[in-house]
Amino acid sequence: MTATAPALPIPKAAPTVPTPIITLRGVGKSYGNHQVLHGIDLSIHKGETVVICGPSGSGKSTLIRSIAHLEPHDNGQIIVAGIHLTHEPQSIQDVRRELGMVFQQFNLFPHMTVLGNCTYAPRVALGMSERSATALAMRLLERVRLVDQARKYPSELSGGQQQRVAIARALCMQPRIMLFDEPTSALDPEMVNEVLAVMEELAREGMTMLCVTHELNFARRVAHRCVFLEQGTVNVDAPTSSFFDAPPTPRLAAFLDSRL
Amino acid sequence: MHYDIALAWSTLPQLLRGAAMTLAVLIPVLALGLVIAIPLALRRASPGRRWIAAGYVGFFRGVPSLILLYAIYNGLPQLAGIRNGPLWPLFSNAYFCAVVGLSLTHSAYLAEILRAGLQAVPQGVVEAATALGMRPNVIFWKVRWPIAARHALRAYQNEILIMVKSTAAVGAITLVELNAAANEVFEFTYDPFTPLLTAAAIYWAMINIIRLGFDAAERYLNAGQTRALIS
Repeated sequence: MTATAPALPIPKAAPTVPTPIITLRGVGKSYGNHQVLHGIDLSIHKGETVVICGPSGSGKSTLIRSIAHLEPHDNGQIIVAGIHLTHEPQSIQDVRRELGMVFQQFNLFPHMTVLGNCTYAPRVALGMSERSATALAMRLLERVRLVDQARKYPSELSGGQQQRVAIARALCMQPRIMLFDEPTSALDPEMVNEVLAVMEELAREGMTMLCVTHELNFARRVAHRCVFLEQGTVNVDAPTSSFFDAPPTPRLAAFLDSRL
Repeated sequence: MHYDIALAWSTLPQLLRGAAMTLAVLIPVLALGLVIAIPLALRRASPGRRWIAAGYVGFFRGVPSLILLYAIYNGLPQLAGIRNGPLWPLFSNAYFCAVVGLSLTHSAYLAEILRAGLQAVPQGVVEAATALGMRPNVIFWKVRWPIAARHALRAYQNEILIMVKSTAAVGAITLVELNAAANEVFEFTYDPFTPLLTAAAIYWAMINIIRLGFDAAERYLNAGQTRALIS
């Protein structure tokens, strides 16, 4: 494009392939001398559920956290919903606006009730009125089946319930993409399924989801695509069926063997 | 050892005036201490330029408050700059010097209490707030600070109770607070027990009223969430 180009929107060619809602190009990240991510390329399309798995230390969490700029990436490009994630506060804020994030440790606000946890951010970050924030929160708490717990504090709930509150809290910001960072790893086994059930419902409703998880059965049942990270690189990025039934690399085959 | 009830009753107004002075020193010290301690704690709990706050805390926790009071009330006037300067009306006033001296000590201790509270806030909770798009100042005042305050409450209560008794030191710079008032009665009557025991009872009552206040605050702040914050 030259400087004299008319200030008119350039008509786009009808896309044969839709543009991804998340694009990572050559994303790298190191801590000191230790490089955690090496040139990661990844795209996620609208409505897709993508599971990231891999051995511990492979960079899964760093990858998902770098998309929310909780770990600033050192090089490469991250584009979320058309916004280039730079280290500028405005760009970070705009990207986070599109994302909902769920953490391994729930990270609820211990001094607020379940309802307060869900309504606070919409009120201060989106300027929603208390009434509409409450209405929205109650609807989403209904969805994670916790309406009756709305007035309780996080410490009065089980781990599974807390994680479902965390999901509702993230959904209250009406994000276009949900990021899950090992959402069931801190849960007792009997609570894992109630959280996975909520996530599965969300995926079926068409939410775009990126999940770091060790729950391979969940991945097999729900994910459209699975990504296997190894030592900070994408070792496999394949549709779920071939990922599990015909692992394309010996590393993935060995990993699956050790897990299933 | 004999407790003279008649003497205790007749000197009670004198001791209560002393107790009023104790509170008159204590209350501004607590307020001023908090105002000084918050920025110190923030500096201590954040990366970079920590040494100023660390130096302040290290110095004023180390200096005995009695010596600090003497230094401010009796020492500073030795400097011509103070004696002839615009601040002389303040530094020639024992009450002012008492409040300043105790505030310096109290704020240094309180800064450490608040720093520990801030550092006890789980990093993940702050990250969650960040990911939810909250601005840093909102995260500080609505997430970090309330959680830190709950962690710090027990230690803050302790520090205040110790401070109540530390106010006795200001008797050394001519203020007649509760302990000095009891000593005056002793000097007039040569009864060592009655005024001091009465003063002790008044201290005890003050401390337990404060303690009950803290208990109520704790119940209010921890409504239904004690486990999460203690664990």
